[in-house]
Amino acid sequence: MKTAETTLGAKKTDGQHLPGRQKNHYGRLRLTVLTGAFLLIFINPVLNYYWHINFIQGWYQSFALGNLWFVSPLEGLESLLLTKSLYLPSLIGMVVPVLIALSLGRVFCSWLCPVSFILEIFDRLRKLISQKKYLKNTLLITKKALWFTLIAELVLSMIFGAPFFVFLSPPGLVGREIMMLAFFHTVALEGVILLLILALELFTRRFYCRTFCPLGALLAFIGKKRRLQVHVDPTSCTNCGKCEKVCPMGLLPNVGEGTSAYCWNCGECLDSCRHDALHFCWEEKGVCPGKTNR
Amino acid sequence: MERRSFLKILAAGLTCLPLLPGPAGAKLLQSPVTTNRLRPPGAVPEEIFPAKCIRCGRCVEVCPYRSITMLDIRAGIHAGTPLIEAENIPCYLCMKCVDVCPTGSLRRIQQEETRMGLAVINRFHCAAWIGTILCRTCYDKCPYADKAIRLDQLRPVIDESACTGCGICTNACPVTVAEDRKAINIEPLYARAKVTG
Repeated sequence: MKTAETTLGAKKTDGQHLPGRQKNHYGRLRLTVLTGAFLLIFINPVLNYYWHINFIQGWYQSFALGNLWFVSPLEGLESLLLTKSLYLPSLIGMVVPVLIALSLGRVFCSWLCPVSFILEIFDRLRKLISQKKYLKNTLLITKKALWFTLIAELVLSMIFGAPFFVFLSPPGLVGREIMMLAFFHTVALEGVILLLILALELFTRRFYCRTFCPLGALLAFIGKKRRLQVHVDPTSCTNCGKCEKVCPMGLLPNVGEGTSAYCWNCGECLDSCRHDALHFCWEEKGVCPGKTNR
Repeated sequence: MERRSFLKILAAGLTCLPLLPGPAGAKLLQSPVTTNRLRPPGAVPEEIFPAKCIRCGRCVEVCPYRSITMLDIRAGIHAGTPLIEAENIPCYLCMKCVDVCPTGSLRRIQQEETRMGLAVINRFHCAAWIGTILCRTCYDKCPYADKAIRLDQLRPVIDESACTGCGICTNACPVTVAEDRKAINIEPLYARAKVTG
Protein backbone atom coordinates (compact mmCIF):
# COMPACT_ATOMS: atom_id res chain seq x y z
CA MET A 1 0.00 0.00 0.00
CA LYS A 2 2.69 2.46 1.03
CA THR A 3 4.85 2.13 -2.03
CA ALA A 4 1.92 2.64 -4.38
CA GLU A 5 1.41 6.15 -3.14
CA THR A 6 4.78 7.50 -4.13
CA THR A 7 3.40 9.24 -7.21
CA LEU A 8 1.07 11.24 -5.01
CA GLY A 9 3.91 12.49 -2.85
CA ALA A 10 5.11 16.05 -3.19
CA LYS A 11 8.79 15.28 -2.72
CA LYS A 12 11.20 12.87 -4.24
CA THR A 13 12.29 11.41 -0.95
CA ASP A 14 8.73 10.44 -0.05
CA GLY A 15 9.13 6.91 -1.31
CA GLN A 16 12.07 6.06 0.88
CA HIS A 17 11.94 5.71 4.58
CA LEU A 18 14.48 7.77 6.35
CA PRO A 19 17.15 5.74 8.11
CA GLY A 20 16.31 4.83 11.66
CA ARG A 21 12.64 5.70 11.18
CA GLN A 22 10.25 3.45 13.02
CA LYS A 23 7.20 2.63 11.01
CA ASN A 24 3.91 3.24 12.84
CA HIS A 25 1.07 0.77 12.62
CA TYR A 26 -1.65 2.56 14.50
CA GLY A 27 -4.10 1.91 11.67
CA ARG A 28 -3.76 -1.84 11.97
CA LEU A 29 -3.84 -1.73 15.76
CA ARG A 30 -6.89 0.50 15.73
CA LEU A 31 -8.77 -1.76 13.33
CA THR A 32 -8.02 -4.71 15.61
CA VAL A 33 -9.31 -2.86 18.66
CA LEU A 34 -12.40 -1.67 16.76
CA THR A 35 -13.11 -5.20 15.57
CA GLY A 36 -12.72 -6.56 19.10
CA ALA A 37 -15.02 -3.90 20.53
CA PHE A 38 -17.59 -4.61 17.83
CA LEU A 39 -17.41 -8.38 18.25
CA LEU A 40 -17.93 -7.96 21.98
CA ILE A 41 -21.32 -6.34 21.52
CA PHE A 42 -22.08 -8.60 18.57
CA ILE A 43 -21.42 -11.93 20.28
CA ASN A 44 -22.68 -10.96 23.71
CA PRO A 45 -26.44 -10.79 22.94
CA VAL A 46 -26.17 -14.17 21.22
CA LEU A 47 -24.45 -15.74 24.25
CA ASN A 48 -27.04 -14.12 26.41
CA TYR A 49 -30.03 -15.25 24.40
CA TYR A 50 -29.07 -18.85 23.71
CA TRP A 51 -26.99 -19.77 26.76
CA HIS A 52 -28.15 -17.24 29.36
CA ILE A 53 -24.59 -16.05 29.95
CA ASN A 54 -25.17 -12.54 31.21
CA PHE A 55 -21.85 -11.76 32.85
CA ILE A 56 -21.48 -9.01 30.27
CA GLN A 57 -24.54 -6.89 29.60
CA GLY A 58 -25.45 -4.00 27.40
CA TRP A 59 -23.50 -2.06 24.84
CA TYR A 60 -21.78 1.31 24.76
CA GLN A 61 -24.69 3.21 26.29
CA SER A 62 -24.24 1.31 29.48
CA PHE A 63 -21.90 -1.60 29.64
CA ALA A 64 -21.46 -4.03 32.49
CA LEU A 65 -18.58 -6.41 32.98
CA GLY A 66 -19.78 -8.35 35.98
CA ASN A 67 -20.24 -5.71 38.63
CA LEU A 68 -18.06 -3.13 36.89
CA TRP A 69 -20.50 -0.74 35.27
CA PHE A 70 -19.86 1.94 32.70
CA VAL A 71 -22.35 4.61 31.75
CA SER A 72 -21.89 6.74 28.65
CA PRO A 73 -21.26 10.34 29.83
CA LEU A 74 -23.81 12.00 27.54
CA GLU A 75 -26.62 9.59 28.30
CA GLY A 76 -25.86 9.74 32.00
CA LEU A 77 -25.67 13.53 31.94
CA GLU A 78 -29.01 13.77 30.13
CA SER A 79 -30.64 11.44 32.61
CA LEU A 80 -29.35 13.59 35.49
CA LEU A 81 -30.32 16.89 33.83
CA LEU A 82 -33.82 15.80 32.87
CA THR A 83 -34.77 14.19 36.15
CA LYS A 84 -32.97 16.96 38.06
CA SER A 85 -31.73 14.45 40.57
CA LEU A 86 -28.50 12.62 41.24
CA TYR A 87 -28.20 8.86 41.19
CA LEU A 88 -24.89 7.62 42.50
CA PRO A 89 -24.53 4.35 40.56
CA SER A 90 -24.92 6.22 37.28
CA LEU A 91 -22.45 8.92 38.37
CA ILE A 92 -19.91 6.30 39.39
CA GLY A 93 -20.47 4.51 36.08
CA MET A 94 -19.53 7.73 34.28
CA VAL A 95 -16.22 8.17 36.15
CA VAL A 96 -14.07 5.89 34.00
CA PRO A 97 -15.30 7.17 30.60
CA VAL A 98 -14.89 10.77 31.77
CA LEU A 99 -11.36 10.11 33.07
CA ILE A 100 -10.43 8.50 29.76
CA ALA A 101 -11.82 11.47 27.85
CA LEU A 102 -10.03 13.91 30.19
CA SER A 103 -6.63 12.40 29.58
CA LEU A 104 -6.90 10.81 26.13
CA GLY A 105 -9.64 12.85 24.42
CA ARG A 106 -12.15 11.38 22.00
CA VAL A 107 -10.48 7.98 21.87
CA PHE A 108 -13.79 6.21 22.41
CA CYS A 109 -14.93 7.54 19.03
CA SER A 110 -11.88 6.44 17.07
CA TRP A 111 -10.88 3.28 18.91
CA LEU A 112 -14.10 1.69 20.24
CA CYS A 113 -17.27 3.11 18.71
CA PRO A 114 -19.16 0.50 16.64
CA VAL A 115 -20.19 3.18 14.14
CA SER A 116 -16.51 3.94 13.66
CA PHE A 117 -15.91 0.25 13.01
CA ILE A 118 -18.63 0.09 10.37
CA LEU A 119 -17.39 3.26 8.69
CA GLU A 120 -13.79 2.01 8.79
CA ILE A 121 -14.81 -1.21 7.03
CA PHE A 122 -16.88 0.85 4.58
CA ASP A 123 -13.87 3.07 3.95
CA ARG A 124 -11.66 0.09 3.18
CA LEU A 125 -14.27 -1.40 0.85
CA ARG A 126 -14.56 1.91 -0.96
CA LYS A 127 -10.81 2.01 -1.42
CA LEU A 128 -10.86 -1.50 -2.87
CA ILE A 129 -13.62 -0.66 -5.35
CA SER A 130 -12.82 2.88 -6.42
CA GLN A 131 -9.02 2.50 -6.56
CA LYS A 132 -8.85 6.04 -5.26
CA LYS A 133 -6.77 6.36 -2.15
CA TYR A 134 -8.42 9.45 -0.72
CA LEU A 135 -11.99 10.59 -0.76
CA LYS A 136 -12.51 14.19 -1.72
CA ASN A 137 -14.70 15.73 0.96
CA THR A 138 -17.54 17.43 -0.89
CA LEU A 139 -19.92 18.29 1.93
CA LEU A 140 -18.14 20.47 4.44
CA ILE A 141 -19.55 22.18 7.47
CA THR A 142 -17.59 24.26 9.93
CA LYS A 143 -16.16 22.16 12.74
CA LYS A 144 -17.72 24.45 15.30
CA ALA A 145 -21.09 22.92 14.38
CA LEU A 146 -20.10 20.13 16.76
CA TRP A 147 -20.57 22.40 19.78
CA PHE A 148 -23.84 23.65 18.37
CA THR A 149 -25.16 20.08 18.15
CA LEU A 150 -24.21 19.38 21.74
CA ILE A 151 -25.89 22.50 23.07
CA ALA A 152 -28.97 22.14 20.86
CA GLU A 153 -29.32 18.52 21.87
CA LEU A 154 -29.15 19.23 25.60
CA VAL A 155 -31.45 22.27 25.42
CA LEU A 156 -34.04 20.51 23.24
CA SER A 157 -34.03 17.49 25.52
CA MET A 158 -34.53 19.67 28.57
CA ILE A 159 -37.40 21.56 26.92
CA PHE A 160 -39.26 18.42 25.92
CA GLY A 161 -38.35 16.53 29.07
CA ALA A 162 -37.23 13.52 27.07
CA PRO A 163 -33.72 12.72 25.96
CA PHE A 164 -33.48 12.64 22.18
CA PHE A 165 -29.99 11.34 21.82
CA VAL A 166 -30.42 8.18 23.84
CA PHE A 167 -32.71 6.52 21.34
CA LEU A 168 -31.19 8.07 18.24
CA SER A 169 -27.53 7.76 19.23
CA PRO A 170 -25.79 5.82 16.46
CA PRO A 171 -23.23 4.18 18.79
CA GLY A 172 -26.13 2.92 20.91
CA LEU A 173 -28.26 2.08 17.88
CA VAL A 174 -25.76 -0.46 16.57
CA GLY A 175 -25.87 -2.30 19.89
CA ARG A 176 -29.64 -2.09 20.10
CA GLU A 177 -30.15 -3.39 16.57
CA ILE A 178 -27.88 -6.36 17.22
CA MET A 179 -29.71 -7.09 20.46
CA MET A 180 -33.13 -6.78 18.79
CA LEU A 181 -31.94 -9.14 16.07
CA ALA A 182 -30.72 -11.75 18.56
CA PHE A 183 -33.63 -11.48 20.99
CA PHE A 184 -36.70 -10.67 18.91
CA HIS A 185 -35.46 -11.55 15.41
CA THR A 186 -36.48 -8.15 14.09
CA VAL A 187 -34.74 -4.83 13.60
CA ALA A 188 -35.90 -1.52 14.99
CA LEU A 189 -37.02 1.10 12.49
CA GLU A 190 -34.63 3.76 13.74
CA GLY A 191 -31.82 1.72 12.19
CA VAL A 192 -32.33 3.75 9.01
CA ILE A 193 -30.27 6.44 10.74
CA LEU A 194 -27.27 4.13 10.40
CA LEU A 195 -27.93 3.80 6.67
CA LEU A 196 -28.13 7.58 6.43
CA ILE A 197 -24.75 7.93 8.14
CA LEU A 198 -23.32 5.32 5.80
CA ALA A 199 -24.67 7.27 2.81
CA LEU A 200 -23.17 10.52 4.08
CA GLU A 201 -19.82 8.75 4.23
CA LEU A 202 -19.85 8.78 0.43
CA PHE A 203 -19.63 12.57 0.43
CA THR A 204 -17.43 13.38 3.38
CA ARG A 205 -15.37 11.13 5.60
CA ARG A 206 -16.88 10.78 9.09
CA PHE A 207 -19.38 13.52 8.29
CA TYR A 208 -21.63 12.53 11.16
CA CYS A 209 -18.80 12.03 13.65
CA ARG A 210 -17.16 15.35 12.98
CA THR A 211 -20.22 17.60 13.01
CA PHE A 212 -23.35 15.91 14.31
CA CYS A 213 -22.48 13.47 17.06
CA PRO A 214 -23.41 14.96 20.46
CA LEU A 215 -21.59 12.17 22.29
CA GLY A 216 -18.44 12.92 20.31
CA ALA A 217 -18.96 16.61 21.05
CA LEU A 218 -19.20 16.00 24.78
CA LEU A 219 -16.12 13.77 24.77
CA ALA A 220 -14.27 16.39 22.72
CA PHE A 221 -15.33 19.06 25.17
CA ILE A 222 -14.16 17.02 28.16
CA GLY A 223 -10.91 16.26 26.35
CA LYS A 224 -10.18 19.84 25.36
CA LYS A 225 -7.19 19.95 27.70
CA ARG A 226 -6.26 16.32 27.24
CA ARG A 227 -2.79 14.94 27.91
CA LEU A 228 -2.39 12.74 24.84
CA GLN A 229 -1.94 14.93 21.77
CA VAL A 230 -0.53 14.68 18.28
CA HIS A 231 2.48 16.98 18.08
CA VAL A 232 4.28 18.09 14.97
CA ASP A 233 8.04 18.48 14.82
CA PRO A 234 8.49 21.52 12.54
CA THR A 235 12.13 20.71 11.79
CA SER A 236 11.36 17.38 10.11
CA CYS A 237 7.97 18.34 8.61
CA THR A 238 8.19 19.01 4.87
CA ASN A 239 4.56 20.07 4.45
CA CYS A 240 3.97 17.25 1.98
CA GLY A 241 0.28 17.31 2.92
CA LYS A 242 -0.15 13.58 3.34
CA CYS A 243 -1.51 13.88 6.86
CA GLU A 244 -4.15 16.36 5.71
CA LYS A 245 -5.38 13.82 3.18
CA VAL A 246 -5.57 10.87 5.54
CA CYS A 247 -7.10 12.68 8.52
CA PRO A 248 -10.65 11.33 8.84
CA MET A 249 -11.68 14.45 10.73
CA GLY A 250 -10.41 16.81 8.05
CA LEU A 251 -7.80 18.42 10.26
CA LEU A 252 -4.37 19.72 9.34
CA PRO A 253 -1.98 17.91 11.70
CA ASN A 254 1.03 19.58 10.04
CA VAL A 255 0.04 22.98 11.38
CA GLY A 256 -0.65 21.68 14.86
CA GLU A 257 -4.36 20.95 14.65
CA GLY A 258 -3.57 17.63 16.32
CA THR A 259 -3.71 19.50 19.61
CA SER A 260 -7.15 21.02 18.93
CA ALA A 261 -10.31 19.73 20.57
CA TYR A 262 -11.48 18.21 17.27
CA CYS A 263 -8.65 15.67 17.04
CA TRP A 264 -9.69 12.19 18.14
CA ASN A 265 -6.21 10.64 18.43
CA CYS A 266 -6.74 7.90 15.87
CA GLY A 267 -3.11 7.99 14.72
CA GLU A 268 -3.84 7.92 10.98
CA CYS A 269 -1.58 10.93 10.41
CA LEU A 270 1.29 9.27 12.30
CA ASP A 271 1.03 6.26 10.00
CA SER A 272 1.01 8.43 6.90
CA CYS A 273 3.98 10.62 7.86
CA ARG A 274 7.16 9.63 6.01
CA HIS A 275 9.42 12.04 7.83
CA ASP A 276 8.65 11.02 11.38
CA ALA A 277 7.42 14.53 12.07
CA LEU A 278 4.26 13.61 13.96
CA HIS A 279 4.21 12.00 17.41
CA PHE A 280 1.79 11.13 20.12
CA CYS A 281 2.98 12.88 23.21
CA TRP A 282 1.90 12.98 26.82
CA GLU A 283 1.69 16.65 27.48
CA GLU A 284 2.59 18.06 30.90
CA LYS A 285 1.85 21.67 31.76
CA GLY A 286 1.53 22.70 28.13
CA VAL A 287 4.83 21.22 27.00
CA CYS A 288 5.62 17.93 25.40
CA PRO A 289 8.50 16.26 27.23
CA GLY A 290 9.13 13.76 24.44
CA LYS A 291 11.89 13.82 21.87
CA THR A 292 10.47 16.88 20.14
CA ASN A 293 11.64 19.60 22.46
CA ARG A 294 9.94 22.73 21.32
CA MET B 1 -30.76 24.21 -2.54
CA GLU B 2 -28.10 25.86 -0.51
CA ARG B 3 -26.49 23.84 2.20
CA ARG B 4 -27.38 26.31 4.89
CA SER B 5 -31.08 26.45 4.01
CA PHE B 6 -31.21 22.67 3.80
CA LEU B 7 -29.78 22.35 7.29
CA LYS B 8 -32.15 25.01 8.59
CA ILE B 9 -35.17 23.14 7.25
CA LEU B 10 -33.82 19.88 8.64
CA ALA B 11 -33.33 21.36 12.11
CA ALA B 12 -36.74 23.04 12.07
CA GLY B 13 -38.44 19.83 10.98
CA LEU B 14 -36.80 17.78 13.70
CA THR B 15 -37.68 20.36 16.33
CA CYS B 16 -41.34 20.51 15.37
CA LEU B 17 -41.76 16.74 15.08
CA PRO B 18 -43.26 16.20 18.56
CA LEU B 19 -45.53 19.22 18.07
CA LEU B 20 -47.36 17.66 15.14
CA PRO B 21 -51.11 18.22 15.47
CA GLY B 22 -53.58 15.40 15.86
CA PRO B 23 -52.95 11.74 16.63
CA ALA B 24 -49.46 11.63 15.10
CA GLY B 25 -48.09 14.23 17.50
CA ALA B 26 -49.94 12.86 20.50
CA LYS B 27 -48.69 9.35 19.83
CA LEU B 28 -45.07 10.47 19.81
CA LEU B 29 -45.34 11.71 23.37
CA GLN B 30 -47.96 9.30 24.72
CA SER B 31 -46.89 6.75 27.28
CA PRO B 32 -47.07 3.14 26.04
CA VAL B 33 -48.06 1.98 29.53
CA THR B 34 -51.73 0.94 29.41
CA THR B 35 -53.76 -2.09 30.45
CA ASN B 36 -51.49 -5.18 30.36
CA ARG B 37 -48.59 -3.05 29.05
CA LEU B 38 -46.34 -2.61 32.04
CA ARG B 39 -42.92 -1.33 33.03
CA PRO B 40 -40.54 -3.79 34.75
CA PRO B 41 -40.57 -4.01 38.57
CA GLY B 42 -39.53 -0.96 40.56
CA ALA B 43 -40.07 1.44 37.66
CA VAL B 44 -40.32 5.12 38.58
CA PRO B 45 -43.62 6.82 37.60
CA GLU B 46 -44.20 7.44 33.90
CA GLU B 47 -43.81 11.16 34.54
CA ILE B 48 -40.04 10.77 34.61
CA PHE B 49 -39.44 7.28 33.28
CA PRO B 50 -38.63 8.30 29.67
CA ALA B 51 -36.27 11.00 30.99
CA LYS B 52 -34.45 8.76 33.44
CA CYS B 53 -34.09 5.64 31.30
CA ILE B 54 -31.03 5.71 29.03
CA ARG B 55 -32.29 2.84 26.82
CA CYS B 56 -29.27 0.67 27.48
CA GLY B 57 -31.35 -2.50 27.23
CA ARG B 58 -29.62 -4.28 30.08
CA CYS B 59 -32.94 -5.16 31.74
CA VAL B 60 -34.05 -6.76 28.47
CA GLU B 61 -30.82 -8.73 28.27
CA VAL B 62 -30.90 -10.14 31.80
CA CYS B 63 -34.59 -11.10 31.86
CA PRO B 64 -34.43 -14.93 31.91
CA TYR B 65 -38.07 -15.31 30.85
CA ARG B 66 -37.78 -12.78 27.97
CA SER B 67 -40.74 -11.00 29.52
CA ILE B 68 -39.26 -7.58 28.88
CA THR B 69 -39.47 -6.35 25.31
CA MET B 70 -38.05 -3.19 23.82
CA LEU B 71 -40.04 -0.49 22.06
CA ASP B 72 -38.90 1.04 18.79
CA ILE B 73 -39.31 4.46 17.18
CA ARG B 74 -43.04 3.89 16.64
CA ALA B 75 -43.42 4.56 20.37
CA GLY B 76 -42.08 8.11 19.84
CA ILE B 77 -39.93 9.40 22.65
CA HIS B 78 -40.39 6.09 24.45
CA ALA B 79 -38.33 4.28 21.83
CA GLY B 80 -35.89 1.90 23.45
CA THR B 81 -37.66 1.73 26.78
CA PRO B 82 -38.60 -1.65 28.28
CA LEU B 83 -42.18 -2.91 28.31
CA ILE B 84 -43.81 -6.12 29.55
CA GLU B 85 -46.77 -7.52 27.65
CA ALA B 86 -48.49 -9.23 30.55
CA GLU B 87 -50.82 -11.50 28.59
CA ASN B 88 -47.94 -12.84 26.43
CA ILE B 89 -45.17 -13.36 28.96
CA PRO B 90 -45.79 -12.00 32.45
CA CYS B 91 -43.16 -10.94 34.95
CA TYR B 92 -42.09 -13.76 37.28
CA LEU B 93 -40.63 -11.28 39.78
CA CYS B 94 -37.07 -12.64 39.71
CA MET B 95 -35.90 -9.02 40.24
CA LYS B 96 -32.81 -9.41 38.04
CA CYS B 97 -33.63 -6.32 35.95
CA VAL B 98 -33.87 -4.23 39.10
CA ASP B 99 -30.32 -5.18 40.05
CA VAL B 100 -28.76 -4.16 36.72
CA CYS B 101 -30.47 -0.84 35.98
CA PRO B 102 -27.66 1.76 35.91
CA THR B 103 -29.85 4.87 36.16
CA GLY B 104 -32.28 4.01 38.92
CA SER B 105 -35.21 3.96 36.50
CA LEU B 106 -35.92 0.62 38.12
CA ARG B 107 -35.58 1.14 41.84
CA ARG B 108 -34.03 -1.64 43.90
CA ILE B 109 -37.04 -2.95 45.75
CA GLN B 110 -38.14 -6.20 47.38
CA GLN B 111 -40.22 -8.69 45.46
CA GLU B 112 -43.35 -8.17 47.55
CA GLU B 113 -43.03 -4.36 47.33
CA THR B 114 -43.31 -4.48 43.54
CA ARG B 115 -46.29 -2.53 42.23
CA MET B 116 -46.31 -2.83 38.45
CA GLY B 117 -50.07 -2.45 38.45
CA LEU B 118 -53.16 -3.90 39.98
CA ALA B 119 -55.07 -6.93 38.74
CA VAL B 120 -58.70 -6.13 38.01
CA ILE B 121 -61.31 -8.83 37.39
CA ASN B 122 -63.88 -8.19 34.74
CA ARG B 123 -66.91 -9.70 36.45
CA PHE B 124 -68.95 -9.73 33.24
CA HIS B 125 -66.45 -12.08 31.60
CA CYS B 126 -64.85 -14.07 34.42
CA ALA B 127 -66.13 -17.65 34.20
CA ALA B 128 -66.31 -18.02 37.98
CA TRP B 129 -68.18 -14.78 38.41
CA ILE B 130 -70.76 -15.36 35.66
CA GLY B 131 -71.12 -18.89 36.96
CA THR B 132 -70.37 -20.98 33.89
CA ILE B 133 -67.62 -23.09 35.50
CA LEU B 134 -65.75 -23.25 38.78
CA CYS B 135 -62.54 -21.70 37.39
CA ARG B 136 -59.83 -20.71 39.85
CA THR B 137 -56.81 -20.53 37.52
CA CYS B 138 -55.77 -17.05 38.63
CA TYR B 139 -55.94 -18.07 42.27
CA ASP B 140 -53.82 -21.17 41.61
CA LYS B 141 -51.21 -19.31 39.58
CA CYS B 142 -50.85 -16.23 41.79
CA PRO B 143 -47.41 -16.12 43.47
CA TYR B 144 -49.12 -14.54 46.49
CA ALA B 145 -52.15 -16.87 46.58
CA ASP B 146 -54.51 -16.22 49.48
CA LYS B 147 -52.87 -12.83 49.89
CA ALA B 148 -53.20 -11.07 46.53
CA ILE B 149 -56.01 -13.27 45.21
CA ARG B 150 -58.31 -15.11 47.55
CA LEU B 151 -61.51 -17.01 46.93
CA ASP B 152 -64.75 -15.57 48.21
CA GLN B 153 -67.56 -18.12 47.82
CA LEU B 154 -65.39 -19.81 45.14
CA ARG B 155 -65.02 -16.58 43.18
CA PRO B 156 -61.65 -14.80 42.92
CA VAL B 157 -61.21 -11.46 44.69
CA ILE B 158 -58.13 -9.20 44.50
CA ASP B 159 -56.52 -7.64 47.54
CA GLU B 160 -54.80 -4.45 46.40
CA SER B 161 -52.54 -4.37 49.45
CA ALA B 162 -50.72 -7.51 48.26
CA CYS B 163 -51.13 -7.58 44.45
CA THR B 164 -47.78 -6.87 42.73
CA GLY B 165 -49.28 -6.58 39.24
CA CYS B 166 -46.94 -9.23 37.85
CA GLY B 167 -49.54 -10.40 35.34
CA ILE B 168 -49.16 -14.16 35.90
CA CYS B 169 -52.94 -14.34 36.46
CA THR B 170 -53.60 -12.45 33.20
CA ASN B 171 -51.30 -14.78 31.32
CA ALA B 172 -53.00 -17.86 32.80
CA CYS B 173 -56.62 -16.69 32.46
CA PRO B 174 -58.44 -18.95 29.97
CA VAL B 175 -61.01 -16.31 28.99
CA THR B 176 -59.88 -14.05 26.15
CA VAL B 177 -62.09 -10.99 25.79
CA ALA B 178 -60.27 -9.08 23.10
CA GLU B 179 -56.92 -9.30 21.36
CA ASP B 180 -54.92 -8.24 24.41
CA ARG B 181 -57.61 -8.48 27.10
CA LYS B 182 -58.43 -11.34 29.42
CA ALA B 183 -61.10 -11.63 32.11
CA ILE B 184 -58.43 -10.46 34.55
CA ASN B 185 -56.21 -7.56 33.47
CA ILE B 186 -53.43 -5.51 34.99
CA GLU B 187 -54.11 -1.79 35.29
CA PRO B 188 -50.90 0.21 35.75
CA LEU B 189 -52.37 2.54 38.35
CA TYR B 190 -49.12 3.34 40.11
CA ALA B 191 -47.34 4.39 36.90
CA ARG B 192 -49.58 7.45 36.77
CA ALA B 193 -48.49 8.64 40.20
CA LYS B 194 -46.60 11.90 40.56
CA VAL B 195 -42.97 11.77 41.63
CA THR B 196 -43.44 14.32 44.38
CA GLY B 197 -46.72 13.44 45.92
